[in-house]
Amino acid sequence: MTKELFTLEGITRIYKRGNEEIKGVDGLTLKIDKGEYISILGPSGAGKTTFLNMLGCIDSPTSGKLIFYPDNGEMIELTRMKENKLDEFRRENIGFVFADFFLLHSLTATENVELPLIFSSGKKVEDGYSKKVLEMVGLGHRLTHKPLQLSGGEMQRVAVARSMVNQPKVLLADEPTANLDTGNSEVIFNLFEELNSMGMTVVVATHAEELAKRARRIIFLQDGKIVEDKGGK
Amino acid sequence: MKFILFALKNLLRNKIRTLLTVLSIAVSVTVLFSLLSFTKGYEKGMTSELGKMGYQIMIVPRGCPYEAASLALSGGKIPNYFDYSVLEEVKKIPEVEIAAPFFMSAIIRPDEDRTDIYFGMDENMFQMKKYWNIKGSYFKDENSLIMGGDAAYIEQTDEPGQKFYVREKDREFVVTGILERTGTKDDGFFFIPLKAAQEMFGQKDRVTGIAIRVKDPTLIPTVVEQLEKLPDSQVITMSQLMGTMMNLVAQAKTLILSIIIIAIIISALGALNTVLMSVFERTKEIGVMRAMGAGREHVFQLVWVETLVMALISGILGIGIALIGMGLVEKIIKKLLPLAPQGSVVSFDPNTLLICLGFVILVGLVAGIYPAYRASKLKPIEAIRTE
Ligand SMILES: Nc1ncnc2c1ncn2[C@@H]1O[C@H](COP(=O)(O)OP(=O)(O)OP(=O)(O)O)[C@@H](O)[C@H]1O
Ligand SMILES: [Mg+2]
Repeated sequence: MTKELFTLEGITRIYKRGNEEIKGVDGLTLKIDKGEYISILGPSGAGKTTFLNMLGCIDSPTSGKLIFYPDNGEMIELTRMKENKLDEFRRENIGFVFADFFLLHSLTATENVELPLIFSSGKKVEDGYSKKVLEMVGLGHRLTHKPLQLSGGEMQRVAVARSMVNQPKVLLADEPTANLDTGNSEVIFNLFEELNSMGMTVVVATHAEELAKRARRIIFLQDGKIVEDKGGK
Repeated sequence: MKFILFALKNLLRNKIRTLLTVLSIAVSVTVLFSLLSFTKGYEKGMTSELGKMGYQIMIVPRGCPYEAASLALSGGKIPNYFDYSVLEEVKKIPEVEIAAPFFMSAIIRPDEDRTDIYFGMDENMFQMKKYWNIKGSYFKDENSLIMGGDAAYIEQTDEPGQKFYVREKDREFVVTGILERTGTKDDGFFFIPLKAAQEMFGQKDRVTGIAIRVKDPTLIPTVVEQLEKLPDSQVITMSQLMGTMMNLVAQAKTLILSIIIIAIIISALGALNTVLMSVFERTKEIGVMRAMGAGREHVFQLVWVETLVMALISGILGIGIALIGMGLVEKIIKKLLPLAPQGSVVSFDPNTLLICLGFVILVGLVAGIYPAYRASKLKPIEAIRTE
């Protein structure tokens, strides 16, 4: 079994605005190993979000090669896969957490957490797993609350629970604490650490440098390029 | 299952909008269902009514066939009369089994908002009315009277032997029989001896028409041919009559049906718009679902199922309203249609129900395709980024 999870070779994403071309990320080349905990730092507009979107395959690079290594020892070239295969890839391997939580306000906490399960037909998840996940993020007492009846920190914890319910390999978090106070930010990062210690690969883009330092590896982006990559193997 | 529940929850988010859309489809379905039920019931009613008549041909004085038709089925005052001698001519035709002359006229009391129809008849007609169940007996003398079931109810007459006075004509009858309800126009009539009717309305030896029973139905054309030679008479066969009326109804039905189809198309467009709006409103949410691994097909299905569920609810609601309102529809139709048979003109038919449900499902499926397609086309990152 390889220890690699992702290989990126010259990943570039060009955004076109009229005649103007903006490189969101520019020739990213790096490896990410299974079980790593990575923080992505960099000024606004550096390409952090773009980078996470590439990894999570909700956007595809203009050029470059993205390879994923599942546990069965295969090697999947994501940059050459069809859209429905990418959907399946996300479904099975990726969990997302966003700055704005993005919970469905019409659904309760439990229902929000269960939502990804509606789409995953194949993967078997034990009954009551969503409840278990919510308990794990410390919301066992908020199961039937709707998002608007929760605090920001609680909402983000529901979002984390939702990203975990499919038992993905990778957790991608884009500024997960941008809308939270320090206390709640701590809680979220503690959760990430806990998940990472359970074997999940975690990649967090953030402006919160202190918290970012808790990751073993820190990648510093600027103008779409890696300017520093420290703490990797 | 979870999928359908989720779709249902989405519909409940904007309750008013969903409700309005559902109502607009439901109303169309109600009208469609009522119309289809009516046509079915009308056909049934007419067939049984005509079947019960006991005669296949009727001759009346020359006039508009619809007028004649209305005479045959609804009863009323017809200003033209035959001379009694025509009867002799009819009887000469060998294929005729029974020729029953009748005299029909009405007394109208506008202040009471009622019209009493007097039907003068003899034993020949009585023979044709084999389906009658009489409490009491047939006419005993010139002053006998038999009341139709409804007429007796209105007159509060429940036992034979009671007297019945016609004040306009200063004439008294004795009720010899009361009819059990037949489900035909007979229920509303006052039956009196032919002679008495002729006298009472001052038309001695004249008849309104002659009902004819042929020995064998295959002989009808032969008899019709001979009857048509009689001067100033109009020959109507019951099958013709039925055909004419069904045609009239069919024309009206086609017209109403096209209006309903347009109404349904409009409500389908309304449904399409509702769902499309909700898709736009949920763009971000759809993006998030895609990020969580929902495929295009999931998004498509979700929106499609929503439209379908909405259409189904509308259909069930529409049919429910139609079923509850059946009695009312019946009343309205009978008011509008002077030739409606006495029995129920609206009939519940499981096929009609299936047709309506099938139709509304089809509408849902078609209306849902475009919004579902639009939703499934959304790109995940762009969808997430929208405000
Ligand atoms: N859809 C887009 N169209 C055009 N340019 C874009 C688009 N998305 C991002 N960009 C540009 O690409 C660059 C990288 O953007 P990205 O969102 O990845 O930065 P970021 O590091 O996440 O910034 P922040 O910390 O503010 O979230 C920026 O210069 C941005 O303006
Ligand atoms: Mg960003």
